Amino acid sequence: MNLDLSETQELLRDTARDYLAREVPLDRIRQLEREHGWDETLWKALRDQGWLGLPFAEASGGGGGSLLDAGVLIEEFARRAAVVPGVEAFACGVALERCAPGAAAEALVAGLLDGSVLPVPALLEADDRFGSVALALAGGRIDGEKRFVDYGQFASHHLVLARDSGDLALCRVDARADGVSCEPLHTIGRTPTARVRYANAPAERVGGPEAARALLLVGRALAAVQCVGSAAQALEQTVEYAKLREAFGRPIGSFQAVKHHAAGMASKVASSRHLAFEALAALERGADASQRVALAKASASRAVPEVTMLAHQIHGGNGIIEENDLYFFTLRGKERSLAWGTADECLAEVAAGVNEPIDWLTL
Amino acid sequence: MDFDWDPEHLSFRDELSDFVARWRTPELLAEFAATYGAGGPELSKFRSALEEKGYARMCWPEEHGGQGKDLLYQFIFVEEMEYWGMPYGNLTYTSIGPSIRQFGSEAQKAKYLPGIWSGDYCFAIGYSEPNAGTDLAALRTRAVRVGDEWVINGQKIWTSLADVATHIWLAVRTNPDAPKHQGISVLVVPTDAPGLTVRPLHAMYGGHTCETFYDDVRVPVENLVGGEGQGWGIVMHALNHERVGLAATGGLARLFDQLVAHLAEERPERLADPLVRQRLAELVLDLSEHRALALRNAWVISKGGMPIAEASMAKVSASELRTRIANVAMDLLGRYGALSKESGALAPAEGRMEWSFRISPIFRFGGGTNEVMRDIIAGAGLGLPR
Repeated sequence: MNLDLSETQELLRDTARDYLAREVPLDRIRQLEREHGWDETLWKALRDQGWLGLPFAEASGGGGGSLLDAGVLIEEFARRAAVVPGVEAFACGVALERCAPGAAAEALVAGLLDGSVLPVPALLEADDRFGSVALALAGGRIDGEKRFVDYGQFASHHLVLARDSGDLALCRVDARADGVSCEPLHTIGRTPTARVRYANAPAERVGGPEAARALLLVGRALAAVQCVGSAAQALEQTVEYAKLREAFGRPIGSFQAVKHHAAGMASKVASSRHLAFEALAALERGADASQRVALAKASASRAVPEVTMLAHQIHGGNGIIEENDLYFFTLRGKERSLAWGTADECLAEVAAGVNEPIDWLTL
Repeated sequence: MDFDWDPEHLSFRDELSDFVARWRTPELLAEFAATYGAGGPELSKFRSALEEKGYARMCWPEEHGGQGKDLLYQFIFVEEMEYWGMPYGNLTYTSIGPSIRQFGSEAQKAKYLPGIWSGDYCFAIGYSEPNAGTDLAALRTRAVRVGDEWVINGQKIWTSLADVATHIWLAVRTNPDAPKHQGISVLVVPTDAPGLTVRPLHAMYGGHTCETFYDDVRVPVENLVGGEGQGWGIVMHALNHERVGLAATGGLARLFDQLVAHLAEERPERLADPLVRQRLAELVLDLSEHRALALRNAWVISKGGMPIAEASMAKVSASELRTRIANVAMDLLGRYGALSKESGALAPAEGRMEWSFRISPIFRFGGGTNEVMRDIIAGAGLGLPR
């Protein structure tokens, strides 16, 4: 057991944090939000740095790192409000590489690393729950609609979750092929997502139920990390503000009411981060991690609106204006709390198994 | 990062499971419940077995009678004992013993420690007074040195177990002119000392605590622990030990497991209700979050650090969760939830839920109020100004 980041992970975290602080001015993110764009420049730079290959095998040109390493990076992206499809690309690549190895997986990871491919998952439909997938693969084609396809309008390929003879399968669809049309949706998080129509679009099965399950779990655990990142950044910014801002001749951080809000925020960040990384560790080990991942996402999804709203309470009017950075974390955090399974959806999974004995030491 | 327990930790846990299976007898539990932890012959037998294994001090350095194990063993030990409700150590064992080891003279160690480890000695703790609780340094019970003796006058409250204890670990003011934190000392007072009066105060959880009155109580000067005026530091040290068990997940997890087991056996239709399952899932989430904080606290200690903010987070979290589990459990059990163990077979889990509800306030203000804990998280942990 070792609950600290390894030296390599600390180095990764510090390097990524410094790099993003230097190379990603927050005003550029405000600009991207207005343009409904994504940070293609940053994405290319991340690839050049080798960070996009982090969780993939060295044999396929990746960094040979773990999902925990990927989590460290994703938290830094969230703390800088970066508009890049890190979770989406990592989830696609890891699911295929580990659960559906073969030519398609290799091509996808290689394309991600050389910049020729940007894969994103296309999972949800009109009923926005993972259990309600109806779209079917028939005769090498898909006909129907997916919703909430994050970065779908900018991706080169969609990994479409579909039924193949009843089983769940992942089907690769060229996003620029005839019959694929993306309609951007506008969300509270101001990051790209799309409604995608597939009109008899050509599709190739590249993974089965196991890969589909892995995609969901990896994406969900990394989305929990995104929530944690937003909450952690809001907390840090709030603590700094409370030390400087004065009222009645004292820093507001010296008032017990403010301290108690901050103490509660810090506890939420600590426990939700622990659960998120513990879930990634279980996934990395290949254990049945669905309960852990569900608990981690439920915890992070609950924590982030609570923490960011207290951050606003402490910031007062200053936190509301968009010149202040706080809104990034409030809005992104809430949006991410809904993505990849809401707290309720995750808790329903926990509830289904609640009469099974739990080993509280090893969980 | 590595979230897995080492194989040695897991085999230690298995060893503890066997130990618990051997010693968790109805006789021991009945005696423990009847004496509110003060103990009797069954407890002495169990303590001897603990001593033989050396579990309670296995993380101490070998030269101090320990086994030099890492402190995650201590975490596993406390969790396992708390889960099964084993009387592995009252505060005499977990707080006073370690404090005497650290601050006591060689003569005091020789005089008190064997009896503490064997369970023959029981110390009541005399810190709080009617006008000194959270602001403990306001304490006024006075000790004046007269010749070779300290003469004590004053009043303490919440001196739990004083009616059955052999000694009182007493914080007194020895110098009223010094700044308030510097005029405090710690004395060991035998409970048979003339001038000591003990009055029980019956509490809503079924047990009782005590008020103690000191009317010219005399103890020899060698009963002073540490130096004169050193009491504040000693008391803070002892309180840190006191908080270790307060942050455990074990007892809370056990309460949850008992609730689910009761529903599964006696009320399967209720356990099948999606709303009930959802509320149970919420508790699993709360327990998982608390476990994360407790584990992080243990991890910092095992690295040799001082987990000031982490310990406070875990203490707040454990105590609030105890109330929540008991409260939700009673809601889910309906009218049955209110039945105490005297109701016999109809009382769910032998009345554990309603009893936990009654005792739960103690954990939120005891061992440092949760409000003070939050101040510590914000101050020591986040660096917010005083």
